[in-house]
Amino acid sequence: MNSKTPSIDRRRIVRQLRDVIDPELGVNIVDLGLVYNILSGDGKVIVEYTTTTPGCPMRRYLQQQIEEALSSIAAIEEYETKLVWEPDWTVDMIDREVEFFAHPPPRAQMS
Amino acid sequence: MTFRKASASTYILVSLLIVAAIGLLTGLHAGLVRLGFLAGTASAISPMAHGPLMVNGFLGTLIGLERAAALEKMWAYMAPVLLGISTILVLSGFMVPAKLLFIAGSFFLLAIMLYLYNMQPVAHHLIMALGAAALLVGNILFLFDPPIFNLVAWWAGFPLLTIFGERLELNRIMRPPKRAQHLFVALIVIWIAATAFSHINRPIGWAGASVSLIAQAGWLFKYDVARRTIRSVEWTRYSAISLLTGYGWLVLAGLFSLWQGFPTAGPMYDALLHMIFVGFVFSMIFAHASVIIPSLSGKLVPYHPYFYGPLLLLHGFLLIRVVGDLFWLPAIRKTGSYGNVAAILLFLGGILFFLLRDGLRKRRQFSMNQNKQA
Repeated sequence: MNSKTPSIDRRRIVRQLRDVIDPELGVNIVDLGLVYNILSGDGKVIVEYTTTTPGCPMRRYLQQQIEEALSSIAAIEEYETKLVWEPDWTVDMIDREVEFFAHPPPRAQMS
Repeated sequence: MTFRKASASTYILVSLLIVAAIGLLTGLHAGLVRLGFLAGTASAISPMAHGPLMVNGFLGTLIGLERAAALEKMWAYMAPVLLGISTILVLSGFMVPAKLLFIAGSFFLLAIMLYLYNMQPVAHHLIMALGAAALLVGNILFLFDPPIFNLVAWWAGFPLLTIFGERLELNRIMRPPKRAQHLFVALIVIWIAATAFSHINRPIGWAGASVSLIAQAGWLFKYDVARRTIRSVEWTRYSAISLLTGYGWLVLAGLFSLWQGFPTAGPMYDALLHMIFVGFVFSMIFAHASVIIPSLSGKLVPYHPYFYGPLLLLHGFLLIRVVGDLFWLPAIRKTGSYGNVAAILLFLGGILFFLLRDGLRKRRQFSMNQNKQA
């Protein structure tokens, strides 16, 4: 992951994105290696992400969740999500420490 | 908490999802008419519409919709739209135009899968493309009005291969050896070749397809992540149980086929088809519902142990149905069939109920927060 300017705390963005869970695998999208790039500067953040396969219907759901995660950071004035297909996602991009299904897929929030 | 306005594409997806649900409900209704329920009444749907509605009207529209949602290309929506319209034509009694739309819809579904294969030429895309091709072959044969038992294996191939492809894709995280992946693809190619050969020599072709089916189920038992996730909780555990019981029905269907051959209409035919379509396919739908629904609607389905009830009914009543078929006991068979329909309706009803309840809670919470801020 790259960042162009340090104006927005990148660690904060990554932390928020770790709350976005792929419901099928029960793992957050950062550890799954689905977040390819976080570009930030002047209050704007662009998150480039992918899905495990181009035929994955979860793309819209993940986009919504990423946007919600970004909108929860007050320092971000503007954000954009970009779905990219290059390079192809492979299992080698998954964080080695990841334990699949270590926690259940996200619950629909009750509050 | 913020409230997101549903986008136009969400409305399109949900509308098509409703069309798929109409395909399912009317397909189930036609199945009940086939068993004598509501037969002879003005509201009865032709019993012959059961298979076409379940395979094309429901499964074709739903799977086409999933793929179109993934690609987000206008042309890709032709698959679920055409198959959705065909449901309305079947219900209106226009079978010939409906059959033509079945072919057109499955053609677009195949085009989507070939497009995906072109983007990423990997085994799971190839298998899903073969599944769409199986539907197209079945629908082309259907145009010429052969007995359904002569084409139903192709219709069954559509959900079978689509699900196999999806499981292979997901199970990459288990890092199965390359040789095991090649074996799985080889087994699928054997199944297709054997099914095609059954048009020339039915006993040999079907025996080959059955052995391949058992081997594919064995592969899934060995390599599917469900064996691990069954120790998890909530939807993950529920999904694993649904997957493994579905694979179990696949083994039983294969063994039953080897024992009985491929029966042509009658109780044995009923038993075999429903082991595959109810025991395996609906079990897979139950397993994947917690992922399919958010992918199309953007809403997570809250987990509740209630969902084990419909799952238990699905498998329990299928067992009763098969026993009724085996021993030629029509009343038992009917009981099992009604129970299967009830299980599916209770599952769908549960999904709707928990989604609506969750939505209402969120809305109430949102209003309370707004009032506090004011």
